[in-house]
Order: sequence, then structure tokens, then C-alpha cells
Amino acid sequence: MTTPAASTPTSEFRVDSAHTYDTSTPVRWIVSHVSRYPLLLVGFVLSTLAFAICSSLVPRIAGLAFDAVDRPDAGQALLTLSLLLMGVVFARGLADFGTINSIERLAQRLERDARSELTTSLLGKSQAFHDRQRVGDVMARAADDVRQLNLMFSPGVQLILDSLINLVTPLVFIAAIDVRMLLFPLLFVAAFAWALRRYSARLDPVSTAMREAFGHLSAGLNETIAGIELVKAAAAEPYERRRFAQNARAFRDQFVRQGDVQARYLPYLLVWLTFAATFGHGLLLLGQGSISVGELVAVIGLVGVLRGPADLSIFTFAMVQMGLAGARRTLALINEETELDENPEGYAGVMKGDIRFEDVTFTFPGAEAPTLERFTFHARPGETVAIVGQTGSGKSTLTKLVNRTFDVDSGRVLVDGIDVRDWNMESLRQQISVIEQEVFLFSRSVRDNIAFGLPGATFDQVVAAAKAAQAHGFITELPQGYDTVIGERGATLSGGQRQRLAIARALLTDPRILILDDATSAIDSATEDEIQTAINAVLKGRTSLVITHRLSQIRRADRIIMLDRSRLVDQGTHAELLERNELYQRIFQRYD
Amino acid sequence: MGFILGGLTGEEYDRNYSDAQLLRRIVGYFRPHLGKMLFVALLIALNAAALALLPVLTSRGIDGALARGAQGVEVFNANLPVLLLMVAAAGLAWTFNFLRQAITARVVGDVVLTLREDVFDAAVERDMAFYDDYSTGRVVSRVTSDTQDFSNVVTLTLGLISEVLIVAIVFVILFSINVRLALITTAITPVILGAALAFRWIARRTSRQAKRVKAEVNANIQESITGIGVAKAFRQEAALHADFERVNAEAYRLGLKQGLVLQSIFPVLGFIAGLGTVVVLYYGGSAVLAGAVTRGEWFLFAESLALFWFPLTSIASFWSQFQDGLAASERVFALMDTEPQVVQTGAEPVPELEGRIEFRNVHFAYKPGSPVLQGFDLVIPAGQTVALVGHTGAGKSSLGKLIARGYEFEKGELLIDGLDIRSFDLVSYRRQLGVVQQTPYLFTGTIRDNIRYGREDASEEQVLAAARNVAGGDWLDSLPAGLDTEISEGGRGISMGQRQLVALARVLLKDPAIVILDEATASIDPLTEAQIQEGLETVLKGRTSIVIAHRLSTVRSADRIIVLSHGRILEEGTHDELLAAGGHYAELFEAYFRHQSASYDPEGLSGPARTPRPRG
Ligand SMILES: Nc1ncnc2c1ncn2[C@@H]1O[C@H](COP(=O)(O)OP(=O)(O)O)[C@@H](O)[C@H]1O
Ligand SMILES: Nc1ncnc2c1ncn2[C@@H]1O[C@H](COP(=O)(O)OP(=O)(O)O)[C@@H](O)[C@H]1O
Ligand SMILES: [Mg+2]
Repeated sequence: MTTPAASTPTSEFRVDSAHTYDTSTPVRWIVSHVSRYPLLLVGFVLSTLAFAICSSLVPRIAGLAFDAVDRPDAGQALLTLSLLLMGVVFARGLADFGTINSIERLAQRLERDARSELTTSLLGKSQAFHDRQRVGDVMARAADDVRQLNLMFSPGVQLILDSLINLVTPLVFIAAIDVRMLLFPLLFVAAFAWALRRYSARLDPVSTAMREAFGHLSAGLNETIAGIELVKAAAAEPYERRRFAQNARAFRDQFVRQGDVQARYLPYLLVWLTFAATFGHGLLLLGQGSISVGELVAVIGLVGVLRGPADLSIFTFAMVQMGLAGARRTLALINEETELDENPEGYAGVMKGDIRFEDVTFTFPGAEAPTLERFTFHARPGETVAIVGQTGSGKSTLTKLVNRTFDVDSGRVLVDGIDVRDWNMESLRQQISVIEQEVFLFSRSVRDNIAFGLPGATFDQVVAAAKAAQAHGFITELPQGYDTVIGERGATLSGGQRQRLAIARALLTDPRILILDDATSAIDSATEDEIQTAINAVLKGRTSLVITHRLSQIRRADRIIMLDRSRLVDQGTHAELLERNELYQRIFQRYD
Repeated sequence: MGFILGGLTGEEYDRNYSDAQLLRRIVGYFRPHLGKMLFVALLIALNAAALALLPVLTSRGIDGALARGAQGVEVFNANLPVLLLMVAAAGLAWTFNFLRQAITARVVGDVVLTLREDVFDAAVERDMAFYDDYSTGRVVSRVTSDTQDFSNVVTLTLGLISEVLIVAIVFVILFSINVRLALITTAITPVILGAALAFRWIARRTSRQAKRVKAEVNANIQESITGIGVAKAFRQEAALHADFERVNAEAYRLGLKQGLVLQSIFPVLGFIAGLGTVVVLYYGGSAVLAGAVTRGEWFLFAESLALFWFPLTSIASFWSQFQDGLAASERVFALMDTEPQVVQTGAEPVPELEGRIEFRNVHFAYKPGSPVLQGFDLVIPAGQTVALVGHTGAGKSSLGKLIARGYEFEKGELLIDGLDIRSFDLVSYRRQLGVVQQTPYLFTGTIRDNIRYGREDASEEQVLAAARNVAGGDWLDSLPAGLDTEISEGGRGISMGQRQLVALARVLLKDPAIVILDEATASIDPLTEAQIQEGLETVLKGRTSIVIAHRLSTVRSADRIIVLSHGRILEEGTHDELLAAGGHYAELFEAYFRHQSASYDPEGLSGPARTPRPRG
């Protein structure tokens, strides 16, 4: 890699305006997200405090009102105090709104930003990375795991702050009544903190396992649904059902485990023991005559308030743990090293189309043997090179090294004499078009699919490309013509129709290098002729690598390179190979 | 780039259920756990009662002790029973929680599990027409996320039970203190409930929208990730990103809206309750001044009021919080209730098939208005190998899809062994059907797992034999780890041709009566294909097979060749017959062979096409 970016992980795609976050640990990551919105954070804390103050004012004012009936101006005082109370109630409502507004906004932004960060980073990961992922699991992370962050703050953190206030306030009031009575409540606070730590520590593995199980469930399901046609054809519904049930049950079991951890939640016990201990303590003091009955009752009442935080924490801390587990899974993807870098400072010129492989060896990550070994060949600008070889010999892989879908292990791939790793990736890929073997169409309109590589294309350009690819005819027969939305699998079109859309899509971008990976395999000979004519016209002056099993295309190539089991075994013209290469003869003998 | 905000209108099969309908179905899921639920409710009630009783006990205890003139440690000793009761309460509270959490987790876990299994069953039951319309991401999000949100319903309901109990208890207390003040308080209750009901509607609407946009986000991410290869090749990550940001921003907007709506009910209700307190304070005070109420009553009443508001507002907010769960269940049930297009009139277990296929005046269209087949007739005798040829879009694959019963035809009959295909149990029918697609789908796992797919009972030898039967098994050597080669989702990790070989092996292992090869060897080199042909010919012997191919060398050896065009049979016969007849097939064949001949020059054949020159 020539220019590794300073601190951020390498990536094939970056958004300039994007905020950078601290991705070192889940907690720091969350903090760096939250700290983007200091105003919301401050607003949340202040309005929560304001709410707490107003709430404690209500009984105070009521108390004043009870006393006021003794006063001579009782009626007037009562009215004043009632109005005052009304004001406080109103202020309390406002504060409550403020709390909700700030924390909800914060939580939702957190979800939005985290998802955006994850998706952006996914777009920048290499193809090799994506080959390793299961789509459903990635979806679970991007959709549901980041959602846990939202819930972690609203209601999680919101209620934790509430609880904190409800923990501190009674202590302050108790201290005001009699400091000695704080003994057991303070012990409780210490024990509570310890118990919560323990509780969180126990929840932690369960929450992680639960999120993992969910990812698993989603991944399995996604595969089943993506392959539904096969599932049906293979009559494998019972099998899939069993598999799904297994995954769903695994999730259920983790859910139950979480319930079991929650069941062992200690603070319930602690808070009641504190209640009893404080009462006993108070009785002793009462017996000594150092506190009054009223004070004892008040203290007991205040200890009862501690129940609130104890009750809530079972729930809020579970949310925090889920949030952390979600964050961990999200970060795991974001931080995964990817092999390629977009190399923005790299070379970015107009491509002439000279391709040179110099002693290239390439091995797929995880594979034992190289898929391409010591590969050397040269395609001059404007040349058409056909690549032939048996299934699995490495033809497609070879083409993927040209636009740097993968990087070589050793040797070099040069375009216009410049190592592809030294090219600006944007510039490199924009000037190379690939018509891939497995056509992927987006579930958008036909027009948008053709214009995919050139979003600014005019309708006329789209139609021209479609005509060249012999697609215009069937497109106009579709229910809404160019505006027909294609189903996800491109299933509303036949195989040949899809290939023609892919060809139109590639032609529109006006590439300098065109790679056709078996691009016409599902197209009949007559249609292919017409497409070929168009492609040939487009290809004038452009370099093309053509993988095909059709002699009609092979023959008109300037040169043919012949692969056998990851090695380049021969190159030459059709006539030459036919004459001297035995494997070549065997592959194509059926035609002659 | 056209971004369709389809998420907000929902899917076509979405429907609005009334709360009563939803509740009835939801209750159905809980019925098996009724005993446990009642037990938990009882625990909650006991807990609530204990909570309510304890303060009463403490004050009585102290009063009693002091009234007897106790001093010093005596006060403590006199209250020993109360203290012990509290310690016991501590143990009880913990035990209640223990049982409650453990049981609830099991009930919720099991209900969600059952619901997921049901909705999964419904999803795999859907026909291919359904899957043409709805993307994987949307369906997946219903089965995973929406069922999860459904579980909130349970947690909320259990909470509700305890709140109702507390309200009932406090209500009685309030009335016992002072009827007049109690009536004033009661007058406010309808206001609270009214506000809650009003919120319910908004809550349901915003929840519905939020869920739809969530599915939209799911679908967007799913597609971006699946299509990442294309995006990379065209360097269009930025366009995908922009699209995503739009959906994500929309999700933020609607999520925030839902969050604010669901949360705002608390301040609103709190405010109303606060006003109630003011009213009681003022009128109560006035009544004291007028001598209608004693001061003690007034005091007690105002104190108890606080105990009343909290659970009451919880109950009132319940309905709006509940809407989130209802909106989720609505989506789940809608998926389950979708009307399938493929309708079976029966579910007869299918006997061992011979493989005779008959199309009788079949009319078929994927979408109304664009017919693919109109009055199609065809008989394929058992054991025959039929090749379908014709231009792309002629309807060749559609015939295969009808035989596989992926789609419903409008008119006519499709008979297999003389039996109406509509009367079959589809799983047992498809067990006798082998289909290989042009782009076969493979699942995560080894090659071996994939060959075995659909025949889990097959032995290792059978798998190996099937793999060897395809092109002599040579292809296994080019795989990094032979049958143990791991492949990723969809088939990434091996080449397209290899995928087709795996799919062929899969079908051989399945030993079906009817085989459909739809461009099954299009990505395989001619040498390997020739090897496949030899193997296939022996294997397909005795089975009915339909072969669709553009490579006419593949087609040549078929018993019968059918030339299709626009859903009609133009010609049929054997290779030699059709060549002799000099019709369409002869023409196709001619073109094909001209193609493959040494002197072929496509440029010379057709005029130069217009070159698209975008941008410049
Ligand atoms: N994404 C991948 N990960 C690992 N191995 C792969 C991957 N894609 C292909 N291979 C392996 O590389 C070899 C060559 O594949 P490919 O280039 O697609 O062959 P083909 O010549 O048929 O186009 C195959 O044996 C296949 O198993
Ligand atoms: N799932 C689908 N939904 C709507 N239309 C479809 C679908 N699949 C195919 N079609 C249309 O039906 C016609 C016949 O397609 P098909 O049978 O796949 O042709 P082929 O002869 O190439 O196999 C084509 O015009 C195609 O656009
Ligand atoms: Mg290939």
C-alpha cells in the first residue's frame, strides 16, 4: 500500500463531510458520538434537574397550604398557594417535555449517526471483506444493534439519571433530619453499587450472546429468503424450518438466560433489608429519645423512595448492557481491517488502456493454494484479449485484479504502466467497466439501473445504451417501459434480458477498459450477434478482456490467453492455439 | 437516482387491523401460557399488597409501642415482629422478583419463538410471485425485528396488572377518607383517559410509519450490501451512500416522531394529574375553611392522591405504549394473512411419478396485461428429453417455473401423470422435481452440504457418486478443498461454472422424476460441458427432462426439440427432422454454426450500430 491514511483505517470509500469517532472501545465510541451534541446533553441534565426540583416543591407547597388554613387570611393564602402550585406543576410539565425532547433527540441521533457510520464504513470495505460476511448478520448489526444504542439512552440513561436523583435526594433529606440515620442507607448505596456491578458483569456475556444469536437468526433467515427459489425447488422447507427453529430457539434460550440473570437481581433484597435495618436503627434512637416519631416516619418514608432506583435498575442496566453489546458488534465491523485503500492522492489520468501483468500471484484470503500463479501477459491499448480455460481455472479472478477488486500477493498489475495500487481508485474504476457473470440489478427502475454507473445520464443516453445492448425492444414492451421497477433478484426479467441490461449499464459509462465476464452466456446467437456488433463499435480504441466460451467471440480477439489450473499455459491467436495447444483443441473440438 | 419512498405506504399486502382483532390473535398466542401468566399476576398482586401494607404496619407498630409508654430498647423489642416481617418481606420481594423474571422470560421467549416459527412458515409458504414483489430485506425485518417488538406487548401487559391493582386499592382508600373529594378526583380520571385515547391514535399512526421506514432501512442496507460488487465496479459507492442517507434521515425523522409521541404522553398526563392535585388542594382547603371536611381528612387525602396518580397515568399511557407492539404485530399478521396467488385445491401426497407432463390450454401472465402464454398446449411423455429453444423472453423459463409451481396460471390445466398439479401437496411433489438454474443459489457451508441440500439423509457415498457423475468429477480437483471447500452466502467463493456443477450434482443426488435444466451449463466451458453431457445422458435416461440452452450443441441430442417464440410453439421435432424441415430451427442452427465457424465475421453481417457516447 503506497499511501496509508494517517490514523483512520484504510477504506475504499470515504465521505468527506463525515465526522470521525473514537473507535477504540465501545464506551469511548459511544461517548464520542454523544459528545457531538453537547447542547442536548446539557439540556437533558438541566431539565431533569429542574423536573426533580419542581417535583420536590409540590409536597412543600402542599405542606404550606395545610398550615395556611390556620392563618387569618386563610382564603387568600390558599388561593395564592394553589396558583403557585399550578405554576410549579406547569413548570414541571415543561421540564419533563424538555427532558424527553433532548434525550429522545439524542438517542435517535445516536442511532442515526452510528448506522450512517457503519454503512459508510461498509461501503468502503473491500470485496474480500464482503465475501466473508453474511448479509443477514450485517443487516442485524446495521438495523438492530445500532438500535440498541438508541434504547440505551432513551429510556436507559434517562431513567438512570432519574434513579440517581431519586437515590441522592432521599439521602440528603435523611441527613437533614438526622445524620445518624444515614448509616444504613449509605451502606445500601455501597452495596447497591457493588450489586449493580456484579449484575452488569453477569449480564454482559448474556447480552453479547443474545445479540450474536439475533445476528445468527437474521443471517440464516436472510439466506433462506434470498435462496427461496431453491428452497422450494429442493422441497427443503422442512429442513429450513428446522434450521430456523433452531436459531430462533437459540435466541430464546439466551433471552431466558437473561431473564435468569435478572431474576437473581440482588438490590430487591438489599433495599428491603435497608428498610428493616433503618427502621430498627430508628427505633433505637427513638427509644433514646433522640428523634421524634414524626422524624422516624419521615425517614422510613424516604428509605421507601430508594425502592424506585432499585426497581428501575434491573431494567435500565440491562438496556445499557444491550447497548454496549450492540456497540461492540457494530464496532467489530467498523474496525475490521480492509485490504484496500482508495488512495486519493494516487495517479488519476485519462486511461489509455494498456494492461500488463508482471509475474502476478494471487491467493484468496484463507485459501491454501494460489488461484493465479506467476502470471505474465500484456494487452496493448485497443486490443481485445479473450480469456479461455476450464471452469474454475481462474478467469474471473484474473479480471478482478485489473480494477483492483483484489490486490495481488506478489508481482504487479500495471495499467498504462502504473501499478494499479498507485492509481487513484476512483479514477481507475471509473474508467474500467465490468459486465459481471452474475448480473446484479437493483430494485429500481430499468432506467436507473442502466444509469447506475453514470447517475447524471440523460434519458436519451440511456436509450442509446439500451439500443446498443439490444435491450430497447424488450424494455418498451415492459408494463411501464423504462420506468418499470425490477424485482430484487431481477427476477421479473429473463436471464438474457438481465445480461442485456448489464451490458447497457456498462456501455453507458464510456469505459477505457471493458471486461466481459461471460456476459452473453444466456443470450441466443442471433441476439448476441447484434449485441456484439454494438460492443465492437464501442470497443474501437478501447482495451477489452473477454471471458467467453463462444468461438464467435474468441475468434475475433486479437489474442487469446489460455488458463489451466491457475497458470497461463499459452497465448496466441485462435489459429495458432488450435494448431499447437492440445487442451485448447479439446475444449473447442466440439465445434469443429 | 430514483428512490422510491415505498416504505411509508407499506407493502401492498399490509392491512389495518382493529385492536380487537389484533388482541384476539395475540391472546391466542398467550393461551398456552395462561397458567404461568396468572401465577405471575398473582405474584405481582401479592407484592403490591405487601408494599401497600408495610407503611401501615410501621406506623401502627410505632404508635402501639409508644402508646404503651415503652422506652429505650423496649421500643425496639416491641416492634420486633414488624422488623422480622420486614426482613421476611425482603426475602419475599426477592423471591417474587425471581419467579416473576424467570417465568416471564420463559413466557415471552416462548411466545416470540412460536410467533417467529409461524411467520417463518408463512414466509416460506409464499409463492414466487410474492418474492418478485417484496425484497428479502423487508421480509426478514418482519420476521426478526417486528416479532421482537411484539414482545413488548407482554412486558407491558404484566406491568399493567400490578398498576390496576394498586389503583383499585388506592381508590378504595380515597373513597373511605372522603367521598366528596374522591368524587372530585374521579372527575379528572375521564380527562386523563380521554387524553390517553387521543394519544392512542397518533401513537398507532406514528408507530406504523416508524416500522415501515425501519423495514425500508433494512431493505436499503440489504440491497447495498448484496450489490456492493456492482457499486465498486462502477465506483458508485457515493450514490448508494446518498440513497442510504436519505432513508436513514427519514428513519430518524419518523423514529423521533414516534419516540416523542410515545414519550410526550407522560408530561401531558403528569400535567393533568398535577392540575388535579391543585384542584384538590384548593377545594379541599376551601372545604376545610367552610367546615365541610376535617383538616385531617384533607391532609390524608392529598397525601394519598400522589399514590393514585402515578399508577393511573401508567395505565393511561399503557394504550399508547401498547401501540408500538400492536403496530408490530399488525405487520407480522399481515405477512401471515397474505393471500397466496398459487392456490392448491388439495394436498394429496404425490405418488411416485412417471413424469408425463401436459399443458392444456394454459394461459399465464406474471402481471395482468402482459400475457406470456396464451392457450398453450404441450404433452411431454414420461421419460422424454425435451429441449426448448428460442430467443430470450420467449417463455422457456416460464414453462419450467409453471411446472415447478412457482406461479399460478390463469386458465387451463397442467397435468402431471394425468393428475391436476393443483391437487398436489407441493413439498412431496417438488421432491420428485430437479431444477437447475442459470445462476444457482448456494448456501453457506461446504460443497458437500450444498450437494446434499434437500436430501439430508443421503450418505457420503451417494454424495460422492453424484459429484463424480457430473463431468467425471474432474472439477472437484480444481476446488481448493474438494467437497470440503467452504462457500459463502449465495455461492461466493467458487466460480459460476463450479456453482452450476454443484447444482447439477445436487439434482443427480435428488434422483427426481422430472428434471429441468434452465441454462444450467451456460457458464461452463465446452470441454467440461461435453463431459457433463456424457454423464447426463446416462443419468437422465428414464426421467422426463426439459433442457433450455442457447448452446445448440447441448440441445442436439434431445429426443425432441421445441422452438418457442412469444409463448407459442413454432416448430417441434428431432434435430434431424427440424434441420430437414428448414424452418426456424434450421435458421437458428445455421446462425449458431456460422457463429462457430472459422470464417465468421459478425461485423460484416449487420450494419454498424449507433455508438452511445455519453458525456464525451
Ligand atoms: N471469492 C472467492 N474466495 C475464494 N476462492 C474463490 C473465490 N472466487 C473464486 N475462488 C476460487 O478460485 C478459483 C477460480 O475461480 P474463477 O476465477 O471464478 O474461475 P473461472 O475460471 O471459472 O472464472 C476457483 O477454484 C474458486 O474455487
Ligand atoms: N418474474 C417475472 N415477473 C414478470 N415478468 C416476467 C418474470 N419472469 C419473466 N418475465 C417475462 O416473461 C417473459 C418470458 O420470460 P422467460 O420465460 O424467462 O423467457 P426465456 O424464454 O428467456 O426463458 C419475458 O418477457 C419476461 O420479461
Ligand atoms: Mg468465471
